[in-house]
Amino acid sequence: MDGPADYQRSMTPPMPSQVRWPAAAAILMLLVVCWGGLLFVNALAENVSGRRVVEMLASDLPGDAFVARTLPHWHCCATTPMRFRTTLDVETANARDPAVLIVSAHDNARLFVDGELVAGDGPGAGDPTNWSRRPRLLHIPKPLARAGALIEIEVQRGVGFGHLRPIYFGEYDRLYPSYTALHFLRADLQAANGIIGAFVAAFCFAGASLLGARGLMYSLGGLAASWSLQVLGLAPSDPPWSGVVANGIYFTGYLGTNVLLIWFFVEWTSVFADKLSRPPRPLDLLLLPWPRQSRRRLAIVSVVVLAAGVAAIALMLRGDAAISSQDVDRVLGWLGLAAIAFCLVRVVAYYRRNGFRDLFEASAFLFVLIAAVADIVMVRFFFIYGVSLGAAVMFFPLALLLSLAARARGVFEAATATAEKLNLLVAAREREILDAMEELRRNERAAMLLEERGRIMRDMHDGIGGQLLGLLLQARSQKLSETALVSGLEQSLDDLRMVVDSLEQGEGSLTGALGAFRSRIEPRCEAADVELAWQIEDVGVTPNIGPDKTLQIYRILLEACTNALRHGRPRRIGVSLHRDAAGGVEIALTDDGAGFDLGAPLSGHGLANMQTRADRIGAFLRVTADANGTRVTLSLAA
Amino acid sequence: MWRRIGYRLSQASPRARVAIVEDDAILREDLARIVRQASELEVAGMAESLADGRDLLATNPDVLLIDLALPDGSGIDLIGEARARHAGIKIIVVSIFGDARSVVRAIEAGADGYLLKGADPVEAAGAIRIVLQGGAPISPAVASHILTRMRDRRGATREELSAPLTEKEVAVLTDLAKGFRYKEVARLHAISPHTVADHVKSIYRKLAVNSRSEAVFEAVQAGLIRFDE
Repeated sequence: MDGPADYQRSMTPPMPSQVRWPAAAAILMLLVVCWGGLLFVNALAENVSGRRVVEMLASDLPGDAFVARTLPHWHCCATTPMRFRTTLDVETANARDPAVLIVSAHDNARLFVDGELVAGDGPGAGDPTNWSRRPRLLHIPKPLARAGALIEIEVQRGVGFGHLRPIYFGEYDRLYPSYTALHFLRADLQAANGIIGAFVAAFCFAGASLLGARGLMYSLGGLAASWSLQVLGLAPSDPPWSGVVANGIYFTGYLGTNVLLIWFFVEWTSVFADKLSRPPRPLDLLLLPWPRQSRRRLAIVSVVVLAAGVAAIALMLRGDAAISSQDVDRVLGWLGLAAIAFCLVRVVAYYRRNGFRDLFEASAFLFVLIAAVADIVMVRFFFIYGVSLGAAVMFFPLALLLSLAARARGVFEAATATAEKLNLLVAAREREILDAMEELRRNERAAMLLEERGRIMRDMHDGIGGQLLGLLLQARSQKLSETALVSGLEQSLDDLRMVVDSLEQGEGSLTGALGAFRSRIEPRCEAADVELAWQIEDVGVTPNIGPDKTLQIYRILLEACTNALRHGRPRRIGVSLHRDAAGGVEIALTDDGAGFDLGAPLSGHGLANMQTRADRIGAFLRVTADANGTRVTLSLAA
Repeated sequence: MWRRIGYRLSQASPRARVAIVEDDAILREDLARIVRQASELEVAGMAESLADGRDLLATNPDVLLIDLALPDGSGIDLIGEARARHAGIKIIVVSIFGDARSVVRAIEAGADGYLLKGADPVEAAGAIRIVLQGGAPISPAVASHILTRMRDRRGATREELSAPLTEKEVAVLTDLAKGFRYKEVARLHAISPHTVADHVKSIYRKLAVNSRSEAVFEAVQAGLIRFDE
């Protein structure tokens, strides 16, 4: 037996134990209390305070001589109708209100005293209105009640477990409690069960497509409907259909119960399980979960068997309805036992495999199956009413619903857990991406810093480095005058400050950059007594002019300014900035000095230097000079 | 000593006492020389560290010349303390480059102006004098930086500054950033140069106020300060 070993456990998580145990205990308690209550009522029904008549003269009608018969007798009802005969005892005859309690099931029982019909209506009065199984408590008219009076009871059995129960004589009032208990068990409880069954059926059929496990829901709904059909066939005391039809309804329900019981338990023990991990074997059909395809076939087979069974029942009831009813009833009884046995084996195997994980389900199933067996045993072998199924039916749907809810909750929790896992995963990925982006940004920043560092080193080399070196060499060769030293150092510091300015103004504002430049050249102009005419327009943002270009512009302008101060002897130097027609910017430095010869070697170096710087930043440099002065114009894209 | 007494005798009003905090000995001496050469100034004392600078403050000087990079900390801290302890003190930052970033930081801490290290003595004394007379020297770079900073701060906090600049102040600052001098700005706006200076002083004051309220804002954000409601 390798079933449990090679079967994968279902992944359905159980309900939280703190909810599960008390709830399961409550349901079990309800079942036990209900069962106990019904057993008590049953005891009440059986404990009749009256004369118990077991031995009777009985005769199958019509006409034959009475033969002695012991009640109950399992043959008694194979033929029907029947008449039983006994005599009235002294005690009953002397009773204040003598009565007879006919225990088993006979709306159609008739009572004769000394050959006179005194109560009930039976076949003698035409077709019986009902063959249902209610007990009867009939008055014996006081004037007729004498010791030794001939009592005849005529019954016509419909369906049932095929026995006639003992009959009781006594005081009406004292028989009444037993009668009430019997009535409750055989009629009221049945009706309640029938209604519960109808509700469950409606719920299952309506919810099948919603809840998903359709096979399970349909089989359960069918089972509940079958149960209700049985009640519908038996319980009504005056239905608008004939007794034969009522029997047909009952048998259909009975057959349905048997067939759908198998389908339902196969579904239940399969649908929540995982796939079999090895090829199926014949015994698996009994013990292991059925694959989806097999279950679908079972559903079809169930429907076909049901249809065929209903047709067969209808056919049989067309003949001698009463006798056929007993036959059908017996066959269905045995079939039911077989079905229950199959289900019991499956359920036991299921719980052996999975453990008692769902306590509601386990308790409900075991209870209902054991109750069915108990009822059959009670009715068939001890001739008392089975009440266990009645109790089971009360709370079986409740347990089933709770179990389904627990599973739904399990699925929900599993989904939630998965969602949380996904969230964590997403968060982790997000972190990774952010880290990667940060890394990228760091690298970019590092590259930018490297580029910037290279540029600043170039600038230093270009400007202050060269200047300081020049000063050093001159000082070494003793060619450096004090004035030259001071002016050289000032120039170096200026250059350094321009580098700093260019870095600060490197945020795309040429206007601001030129503003800073002014504070550098203003002191010189003042020292040379030259007026500085400042004509700076706000040219807005100049994103294309970064620190690098700014510094080169500074140097070009400084060179031009130096040239003007040194060679032109001007009274006035003008600096202007404005947007040109092409959307670029034009910076101009003009002086009203003597101008200079563009070809002269003296100024050649300075101009060449300016040109080189202009080329480096992609700017267009124009220098014009005449007698009125010099104009240096620098145009570039902003 | 003789010279100082001589100055004192020849001067009708008492000379302004200047405290110098600078760690470089040569630059310190240079500053001292500038102060001594100015007729209306005298050296109250010199310090080469933040700690010594604090002691120097106790002598209640009129002017504080302070370097930002000191061996035991930032001059910014001392500026804040000096401003808190002596409301009337004039604080001037001395800086090699006069770079806007550090100057604006000093102004936010409460400085009144700045002085370039190694500047011509006459020019330097003039700058000190301007501050003493209630003026507010400002370089185009500093003006430009203040504009940027105000704009960025408004964007960052998405709230009105506790002391926003007026339109006029912004306009003045914008022109100063372009390199125009006080006189030129005054002409452009048809106001007197004094009014321009008043605007700049107001701007400096607001910069400090905003800086303080920004510090409070940031402290609240960081949970350092809690308001009990």
